Amino acid sequence: MPFDVQFGWTTPIGDVVLGATRADGGTRRVSYRIGRGTTLPFLEDVNGSPAPLIAFEICDYPAFWSPIIRDYCGDLVNNVNEWTKTADATYGADLVRLHLTSTKQRNFSDIASIGKVVEGVLSATSLPVIIEGSNEPKIDSEVYQKCGETGQGERLLLGTAEAGKYRSIAAAALAYNHSIIAQSPIDINLAKQLNILLKEIGVQRDHIVIDPYTGALGYGFEYSFSAMERIRFSALKGDTDLAMPMICSAADTLTIKEVRETGPEEQDAAAIRWEFYTCLAAAAAGAEIVCVRHPGTIPLLRAAFADMKKEAYVTTGVP
Amino acid sequence: MTDVELARKHGEDVLKTRIASIQKPFSYEDTAYHLPISYALTGVQVHDRAAAEDVMTKTGNNPLVASECLLAEKTAAGGKEPAPYTGFISDTVIRKLGYSLVDGSILGLALIVGSPQGEGGAAAICRELQEKYMLTFLAGNVIPSLSGAGVKLGLEYRLIPLGPTPFYGVHFVDIIARVAMMFGGVTPGDMHRLLAYAAERAKAIVIVFPGLTDEEIALVDGMRVLGFPILSLGGYEGGTWTAATPDDVVRLGMEQKGIRVNVTAIPIPMGCSPAFEGKSIRKEEMYVEFGGGRSPAFELLRMRQPGEIEDGKVTVIGPEIDAMKEGSANPLGILIEVAGKTMKKDYEPVLERRIHNFVNYGEGSWHVAQRDLIWVRISKEAVAKGVKIEHIGKLLASKFRMDFPNLLDAVSVTLITDPEKVLAAKKEAEKVYDERDARIKGMRDADVNTYYSCTLCQTFAPNHVCVITPERLALCGAISWLDGKIAYEMSPSGANQPIEKGAVINALTGEFEGVNRFVKKASHGEIERCSLYSVMEFPMTCCGCFEAIALMLPEVNGIMVVNREFKGMTPSGMTFSTLAGTIGGGAQTPGFAGISKNYILSDRFLQGEGGIGRLVWMPAALKEELKERLEKKLAERGLTGFFDKIADETSAETIEALAEFLERVGHPALTMKPLV
Repeated sequence: MPFDVQFGWTTPIGDVVLGATRADGGTRRVSYRIGRGTTLPFLEDVNGSPAPLIAFEICDYPAFWSPIIRDYCGDLVNNVNEWTKTADATYGADLVRLHLTSTKQRNFSDIASIGKVVEGVLSATSLPVIIEGSNEPKIDSEVYQKCGETGQGERLLLGTAEAGKYRSIAAAALAYNHSIIAQSPIDINLAKQLNILLKEIGVQRDHIVIDPYTGALGYGFEYSFSAMERIRFSALKGDTDLAMPMICSAADTLTIKEVRETGPEEQDAAAIRWEFYTCLAAAAAGAEIVCVRHPGTIPLLRAAFADMKKEAYVTTGVP
Repeated sequence: MTDVELARKHGEDVLKTRIASIQKPFSYEDTAYHLPISYALTGVQVHDRAAAEDVMTKTGNNPLVASECLLAEKTAAGGKEPAPYTGFISDTVIRKLGYSLVDGSILGLALIVGSPQGEGGAAAICRELQEKYMLTFLAGNVIPSLSGAGVKLGLEYRLIPLGPTPFYGVHFVDIIARVAMMFGGVTPGDMHRLLAYAAERAKAIVIVFPGLTDEEIALVDGMRVLGFPILSLGGYEGGTWTAATPDDVVRLGMEQKGIRVNVTAIPIPMGCSPAFEGKSIRKEEMYVEFGGGRSPAFELLRMRQPGEIEDGKVTVIGPEIDAMKEGSANPLGILIEVAGKTMKKDYEPVLERRIHNFVNYGEGSWHVAQRDLIWVRISKEAVAKGVKIEHIGKLLASKFRMDFPNLLDAVSVTLITDPEKVLAAKKEAEKVYDERDARIKGMRDADVNTYYSCTLCQTFAPNHVCVITPERLALCGAISWLDGKIAYEMSPSGANQPIEKGAVINALTGEFEGVNRFVKKASHGEIERCSLYSVMEFPMTCCGCFEAIALMLPEVNGIMVVNREFKGMTPSGMTFSTLAGTIGGGAQTPGFAGISKNYILSDRFLQGEGGIGRLVWMPAALKEELKERLEKKLAERGLTGFFDKIADETSAETIEALAEFLERVGHPALTMKPLV
């Protein structure tokens, strides 16, 4: 008897649209519709889920970025627009994820500059964009307002909402029709609770991407994997409060001892290996978006995902 | 005095006639929502008289719709009002306002209309609204009165002058209609959704000064349908407006609409955080103490009607700490009064238990036990920093408001240190304790249709589901049925959810259709059936927090209980920790159940196995702990003498010794129906 790879699942994962083409009121050259999976990924002979999207992470204030990436990318990191262009044209990312690290500076208050950075990145690439705002209660409200307003019409993915910090992001998503990343600390129940809180405030299910929080491989990733697996199982069994696509970032891998303490000649290779295996494992657990910071990781992931059967839902538009 | 009812009726008639006299087409600029109120209510895009009349018919000649049409026509004909008036506000600005509302940086919206007496008559009200994070819209004479008194107006001051007459107050409603469509997912024409959104989500109040015309009264009164409280500052009678004074109008309005200011910092000279909770204050570190058998002391939390108490008020009756001798024991009464729309009398004891946590949050304050057994200490270090009795009151008032924002609107605290007054108040408190005991004691599982779940432990026991009933506490002993109920009311999407128990499948083992359905879903499909009163058949799952374990001993046809504190070997051949490792993690293990200690006293304990007569062994310390209460229970059930037939480690360490013991005392389990 053939093995039932549908496992009796009842409910497909919901979908979320990232980026708006001209036809939808934006200026992106592509728009992705992620989600819609009906079973687990990487099953042979199953048209279950498309290959995950690969996001390349950049920032607007590189002092708060991994020295490995600063060394590898060189001067590029000091010019966020050029860095964005390179991520798109040279590194071959599907998405650009901008971290507004400038907001982490002590007593940061130049909200107008945030608008300029976001504007710059949106004109430097016509890929859909993920924006990570501030993490400081004093300025969150203004920062997310600015991000939302600047990206109006582009269907950004805004990050990152947490249980104690979701109102400003939700407000920006509602006011300017963006989607949001909802992060919980490796816990299925907290993930569900946050989604319900967001629902109560008015954010629709098709505007939420779950970030289960990704530990580095060997540094807690096994917990992330287990949480993701359970989120996905519950979703496929019919729990609509968890039936959203997931996003995972390998950011933690760049700070672990094995990578930090590797000698200079081997360090890039080590960083790439750790990012790659963390992202690959996240993809196996069902992530729809994986995020990397080292440009060298992208081709490896592309090759790993090459045989995935289903085409991603991509709408192309005039850039 | 203007009679609101008469004025409204007349005003509505006038508005209707005026609609009929509209001549030219009209529209607002800078909006995608046409005439927002009309559009949201009916989906009709009004730009001329015909459409206006259509909407009037569809809404039963609603005065809000009439006013909107008339003001739009006036604006189209006469142009926008000159500065400082804003007139109709554009969609772009509304988007930002809506953002601040969702974001929480604005707590709510207020509209002030009418003519205050003299310059600055509304200044104090506006200042209070500003301080309470309200965004205030103004229409009519209130505006010159404020600017004449030097009050600054504008969006940045959260005071928005809409227009020169109260009629411009209609913009207040078109703003809310647009926020509902932009943020609330209200589709144009869905009147029901709009009204529900306005009533439940839009935190808006209306403050009325005297001097409104009949039409303006009709407009303002029309806002009641949106669920906004209308507060009158005099000059009006009849109708359903709430009379208020300038001093209490903001508080009354916010209270009526349930708008709450969040407390963030507690103004006391010591740290306050759960981090200090575990820290005790030893005798050498103590400045003064209260209770603990050394002096009379008690605590009591009571519910009052909203308006009966003043939020945040702290009163000390008797000497302050500086009049107390170092190292002395003093009398203390802690009286907490709370009010809130959803507060219920049943919650009193649950909230009262929190006094214990909150006092311990203080860096230099310490609390143990409950009711009239409390023992409180304040440290020398804290007193040196300036901590007084009053600050304990401030801490309690603030923490209750912070931790129960949806439940409590007002908390006031009275601390009594006067010896005679403490004794008098304590007597009163004891009456309340007795009433409560009677109420909770009387509660039976059969009396309620709803039980509560607890899935707090799913973080580490993924498929564990605790079912909490009035007669069965959570297995950790920390959450009662009432706690579950209140936790659900406070956090409707939290770990405690209501369970409709549904039809009875087996009354003896406590199996219910609704409980099974819930458990299956909450255990992610892993557990199909759950019997609440049985150890043998489909027992409840175990996380790992159980106070004790009940398990079968087939050799003696009985059930033994071992509690967490007992470190020795049990007749089952396993220690508590070995047993805990075997049954925990969210599994259902027939023959084993995690239980709270108090559950042993419940009438439902071991009901599925024939009742407490099955109990053959318990550690001596646990027996001692329960002795008084258990013997009373046993006597009630006609089982006098049974207590001594329960073996412990002093009478039986092994299963063989236990069998001998049970035989010797003639234990009833030996003659009961075989367990397996």
